[in-house]
Amino acid sequence: MSLTFHPKRSWVLASLHSGVIQLWDYRMKTLLDKFDEHDGPVRGIHFHNAQPLFVSGGDDYKIKVGWLSVWNYKQRRCLFTLLGHLDYIRTTFFHHEYPWIISASDDQTIRIWNWQSRQCVCVMTGHNHYVMCAQFHPSEDLVVSASLDQTVRVWDISGNKNVYSSPDTIQSQIQRTTGTPDLFGQADAVVKHVLEGHDRGVNWATFHSTLPLIVTAADDRVVKLWRMNESKAWEVDTCRGHYNNVSCVIFHPRQDLILSNGEDKSIRVWDMTKRVAINTFRRENDRFWVLAMHPTLNLFAAGHDNGMVVFKLERERPVYAVVGNIVYYVKDKHLRKLEIVTSKDVPLMTLRSGPRAPYFSMSYNPAENAILLTTRVPSQLDNSIYDLYVVPKESSESTSQNPDEGRRSSGLNAVWVARNRFAVLDKSHVILIKNNKNEITKKIQLPNCDEIFYAGTGLLLIREQDHVTLYDAQQKRSLASVRITKAKYAIWSNDMSYVSLLSKHQLVICNRKLEQLCMIQENVPLKSGAWDDSGVFIYTTSNHIKYALLNGDHGIIRTLDLPIYITKVKGNSVFCLDREVRPRLLTIDPTEFKFKLALVNRKYDEVLHMVRTAKLVGQSIIAYLQKKGYPEVALHFVKDEKTRFGLALECGNIDIALEAARALDDKRCWEKLGETALMQGNHQIVEMSYQRTKNFDKLAFLYLITGNLEKLRKMMKIAEVRKDVSGQFQIAMLLGDVDERVKLLKQCNQKSMAYVMAATHGLDEEAESLKQVLETSQDTLPEINTKAELLQPPCPIAQQESNWPLLAISKGFFEGAMIKSGQTGSTSGAGLTTQVQTAFTPNVTVDETVNTGGDWADGDAEMLLDEDGNRETATNGDDTNEKGEGWGDDINLDLPADLDTSAGANVGTDDDQEGFFVAPTKGQSVPQLWVNNSKLPVDHILAGSFESAMRLLNDQVGIVEFEEYKQLFIQTYSRAKTAYTALPSLPSIFAYPLRNWRDATVKNYLPSIGVKLEELVSRLQLAYRLTTNGKFSEAVEKFRSILLSVPLLIVDTRQDVSEATQLIEICREYIIGLQMSMAKKDLQGANVEKRSCELAAYFTHCNLQPVHKIMTLKSALNQAFKLKNYKTASSFAKRLLELGPTPDVAQQTRKVLSVCEKNPVDEQPMNYDEHNPFDICAASYVPIYRGKPVTKCPLSGACYLPEFKGQLCRVTRATEIGKECLGLRISMAQFR
Amino acid sequence: MASQDRDPDELFEIRTNFYIGNYQQCVNEAQKIKVPQHLQTEKDLLMYRSYIAQKKYGVVLDEISKQVSQEELLAVRLLAEYLSNESKRESILHELDNKMGGNVKNSFCLLMAGYMYYLQENYESTLKVIHNADSLECCALAIQALLKLDRLDLARKELKRMTELDEDSVITQLATAWINISTGGEKLQEAFYIYQELSDKHTATPLLLNGQAVCHIGQGKYEEAQSVLQEALDRDSNNPDTLINFIVLSQNTGKAVEVSNRYLSQMKDSYANHPYIKDLTQKTAELDRLARGYQPSVAS
Repeated sequence: MSLTFHPKRSWVLASLHSGVIQLWDYRMKTLLDKFDEHDGPVRGIHFHNAQPLFVSGGDDYKIKVGWLSVWNYKQRRCLFTLLGHLDYIRTTFFHHEYPWIISASDDQTIRIWNWQSRQCVCVMTGHNHYVMCAQFHPSEDLVVSASLDQTVRVWDISGNKNVYSSPDTIQSQIQRTTGTPDLFGQADAVVKHVLEGHDRGVNWATFHSTLPLIVTAADDRVVKLWRMNESKAWEVDTCRGHYNNVSCVIFHPRQDLILSNGEDKSIRVWDMTKRVAINTFRRENDRFWVLAMHPTLNLFAAGHDNGMVVFKLERERPVYAVVGNIVYYVKDKHLRKLEIVTSKDVPLMTLRSGPRAPYFSMSYNPAENAILLTTRVPSQLDNSIYDLYVVPKESSESTSQNPDEGRRSSGLNAVWVARNRFAVLDKSHVILIKNNKNEITKKIQLPNCDEIFYAGTGLLLIREQDHVTLYDAQQKRSLASVRITKAKYAIWSNDMSYVSLLSKHQLVICNRKLEQLCMIQENVPLKSGAWDDSGVFIYTTSNHIKYALLNGDHGIIRTLDLPIYITKVKGNSVFCLDREVRPRLLTIDPTEFKFKLALVNRKYDEVLHMVRTAKLVGQSIIAYLQKKGYPEVALHFVKDEKTRFGLALECGNIDIALEAARALDDKRCWEKLGETALMQGNHQIVEMSYQRTKNFDKLAFLYLITGNLEKLRKMMKIAEVRKDVSGQFQIAMLLGDVDERVKLLKQCNQKSMAYVMAATHGLDEEAESLKQVLETSQDTLPEINTKAELLQPPCPIAQQESNWPLLAISKGFFEGAMIKSGQTGSTSGAGLTTQVQTAFTPNVTVDETVNTGGDWADGDAEMLLDEDGNRETATNGDDTNEKGEGWGDDINLDLPADLDTSAGANVGTDDDQEGFFVAPTKGQSVPQLWVNNSKLPVDHILAGSFESAMRLLNDQVGIVEFEEYKQLFIQTYSRAKTAYTALPSLPSIFAYPLRNWRDATVKNYLPSIGVKLEELVSRLQLAYRLTTNGKFSEAVEKFRSILLSVPLLIVDTRQDVSEATQLIEICREYIIGLQMSMAKKDLQGANVEKRSCELAAYFTHCNLQPVHKIMTLKSALNQAFKLKNYKTASSFAKRLLELGPTPDVAQQTRKVLSVCEKNPVDEQPMNYDEHNPFDICAASYVPIYRGKPVTKCPLSGACYLPEFKGQLCRVTRATEIGKECLGLRISMAQFR
Repeated sequence: MASQDRDPDELFEIRTNFYIGNYQQCVNEAQKIKVPQHLQTEKDLLMYRSYIAQKKYGVVLDEISKQVSQEELLAVRLLAEYLSNESKRESILHELDNKMGGNVKNSFCLLMAGYMYYLQENYESTLKVIHNADSLECCALAIQALLKLDRLDLARKELKRMTELDEDSVITQLATAWINISTGGEKLQEAFYIYQELSDKHTATPLLLNGQAVCHIGQGKYEEAQSVLQEALDRDSNNPDTLINFIVLSQNTGKAVEVSNRYLSQMKDSYANHPYIKDLTQKTAELDRLARGYQPSVAS
């Protein structure tokens, strides 16, 4: 027998001794085709590497003649045969480039054939026994052959080159027509080397693909390796180990390995460089005869007595671990990190070299940034090891040169079980729990465990034969177990609530408690998988990407050429690694599983959306929906009326069924519709369907029971027309219509019966005439039963016109939605207008917000503009700072000294009292440290050191009245500490958040920052709004609370400090202005109006937002105008116009202005000189012109006449006017 | 408890639920499972303590008669009595002082005594009574008391002792987290991992969630803190730790003053005796007193 791989597809072709050639798909493990034109054994077979061809070498039992057959597998037929060999053919091979076939035969010759010209190109003679094998060199013009004459020969066929020709050349045309063999090259193959060394017949010989090496297999039970050069060839070494004839041998195409198999029922792997056996695979009863390798993949096939095995030597699965959006994986002895979103792929470190085997698994620990890498040596499991590495944060050359960092121990597998613990399955099947230093902390004896998987903190998944068990490593207790044969991988969903267990052919999905949710069987091996965020498991088999829902629904998403290993699924992107460990991104169409998921989760709006927008494939989805009991959903997919009708009936949707029935107009449909409608009591539909099917009996009965006598009468007429006498009679009877019946009986010549009928019912006239007729015809006159009564059917109480009461079925989501969608067409006009309206409303609000935003933006700009001007004051502050520092040191010294002494005293007393146990003294608490480390008042408040905080506030900004601050103090203090419970039933322990927690040491502990400058600034908005709305007292409240909060701020830079000062000024201006405005109400006496106007005038000089300034000017203008102070009024008007008020205000103002300018005189002189700059005394509301004595509030900077010095500031209500102070201290930068 | 290769701990579930603050579950489990005779008392103690933690003192007082022979049961009864009756505390403590003078060796009784001294804020006595005991819980109590005394250095030593006894025990892990929180800096993240791991593995109780929140707030991760605190609030709308942490968080994230005040009022309503509130009340009084010391030099 012989085997050959298809170069592209997952096919392997096997020729059998029986003469059959079988085409197998090794991935699907199915027999695809058979070619059975050979009668005798087929010993050689080979796929062409590009054409849809294969060649087989067969023979005939009777006349021992070998022939080659060339087949086209697409056309599934033998194209032609090549005759020439005089005995069995042993092997056949295509040339990789030329249109040649080489065959070796028992007739002691090797022949080369041109399959295009179908001619023998060359006959190579020289062996003096059966030639068992002959092969082309993969790149050079050489042939190697092995013979039972114990020799191996290398032939030079370069002389044949000129014989290679395409069928188009004239030469070959001639050759074909003449039928003569090629003129050239008959004797052009010359023996180059004869390799002698085997003691018995040689069965196989093959070239190395790149090196000048040959390997041979012989009946002397050894494999020999030969080397050659231009002039000679010599034996390199012998591989001993087979204990029977060696049938076949090949070089591994990509590694330094030799594979051989033989009649000792084993396949052996040899190290080519050391010529020692590495591995042996044995079969129980079957002798091996042949080996084949895949031209590109790492696959091999071996044929034995009873079949073949397709195998690979080692796992090709890349090892990787996924954490969030990061994939850690190993490639070429490097640990690499791939960020999925950015596809940034960097090497992190070089890994230590280990045993000659690929890595088996990786487990990553994000908390410690450490990985465990397991290397498992197949067939020598005891030699398996794991390495523990700490991963460098980023790739850097220095760390990557330092692979010794890792710790290595033996173990079959290692996975993390906690932040600082990992579990190792060791070779004696004991689970060791180790800490990060690789020290054993615990041992768990689980003799049946042969594999462990990650299962979250403190847990492990343990594989025992055909079970996987969830095991609590801490309690040493198994929690749950699920049946799955030889699970290979466990993949957890992102939130760890589901796990997929993958064995070779089984997928089991379980929940966190390892309760099985579903099981899926696959025919092809499962490879990998990952959970979608929506709880769909996306997995790969060797040829498909598939999905699985938790309820077990699954299906194919797309096919794959080569296996891939999914790392992450995100939306419709599947991130994966291929066998060459290249990161790849595949896109999938998630519609189908999204749809099914939405159905399962009853998210019908999504379903509907997908129904409308996505292109779902018809039949399968419909079948799915029907099967899963969603006929009403399926209804919306169906265009075919017949299916539609069926589905509509299934879900009892009579209307749609009626529609479909009309379109179909098929008798059976109507019948079915009638039945269903009758069941539902929808008798109108029943009537229609009976009409359509012309089912008069039923129709008549229907009319009877619905009491529709009119229609029943019509039915009688119809029956008459149809000459359906009995029907007509029956209806007449039902109607109680005696005349009709008598008439009918007469017509039917049932005169006597007609007479009886007439007589009985008292139709005497009719009876009489009938009597005469009977008498004339001499018929006997029937006797009339005198007791007969007229049977009159009961009269219907009411005619049932409408349907019977139908069960009110709530319209399914879909129907409703569908109806709506239908209606939108008609009502779209209305919909549009409402839409326009709704679109408009938010626009208005947007406008509003723009307005307020504008206010604020203006303020912002102003503040920035002012900054330049303020620099001066900032530097001024600096000077005072220095003084402050010297002063502050005093406090600093005070406190610790105090503490130390008390602590010392404690020690002493404790010692005296206890003798044997010394209770420790109290340490320094965090708040105490805050007090020590800061001179900012708020830090002291947070520390609960109110006394020092008040002292600081008093010294810095002159606060003397703390009523307004109480709330702020308590509130601030309440955020100083967080709480957590330690031991049950005991009160909380407190933790103290620090603002410099990253680099905090006892020396610089500082509490975290609560209120920030920006937040205070943003609070201005509310106060502004209150001002705009005229709620002055509330606005003052707000401004004051902002102002008072400023000394409790903490900011970083001096610029922030000056901004805070700005904030105070804004608040001050507003408070003065607003309070002044409110003071107008309390005015009394004669000159109320004049005084009021004065105050209004002063108000215009408060530094307010333009919006508010406009308002003040408007009011001042009005008042001045009323007082006939036209001169002042005109200046107000001009100032107002400069601010750009709204058009109507502007127009109004201009009018007033023109009036004023006609008579620019002030009738009542005021204490107001707008041209002379002044401050307003915040207590008496009189102007203090520049140069006049003034005293100020240390915090707000509000001005007062000197007589108010020492009083409480009217603006802050907390500070003392004119107190000497250090100034605002709100930043550590002010102390540097 | 010192065990490296002991049989599965049959009380593990109960014990863990108790430590992580899942008290009802602890009670449920205790009533459900059957344990060997020698573990019976330990199981009952955990159950009674869970009742106490839920403030259901009556259950314990009714169920354990004063005449019971086992000293552990008496000790736990004493704790229930202490907690249930504020007026009797003095006498109970007095009694305790006398008893402790003698030689009580049972570590559980020592623990209960330590508990009561701790509740009395007499941390020195707490340390004194438990300093000979070698149970993990006594170590944990010692750590807690030392933290109260701001002796992080000594607390670390105690933790080391605990780690040597049983590193993997839930209570040891929790104690590690407490110390990490007090240490601050990078250790906050480690503390967070401990709380998160326990929440993942068992149940996310308000106790564990508040632990996480404290770490988050300590690291300035306010958004994360918000979400864990919200979860804690959903699970128990009146947990004092949650309320306190919300007060801190709402102020640090610039929420309106009212938000923080709302939590504070709730706290005052429900836990007038909580040290946090007691401290705050005391501070308010102090503030009033101090404020009287200031006034403007000239009355207006």
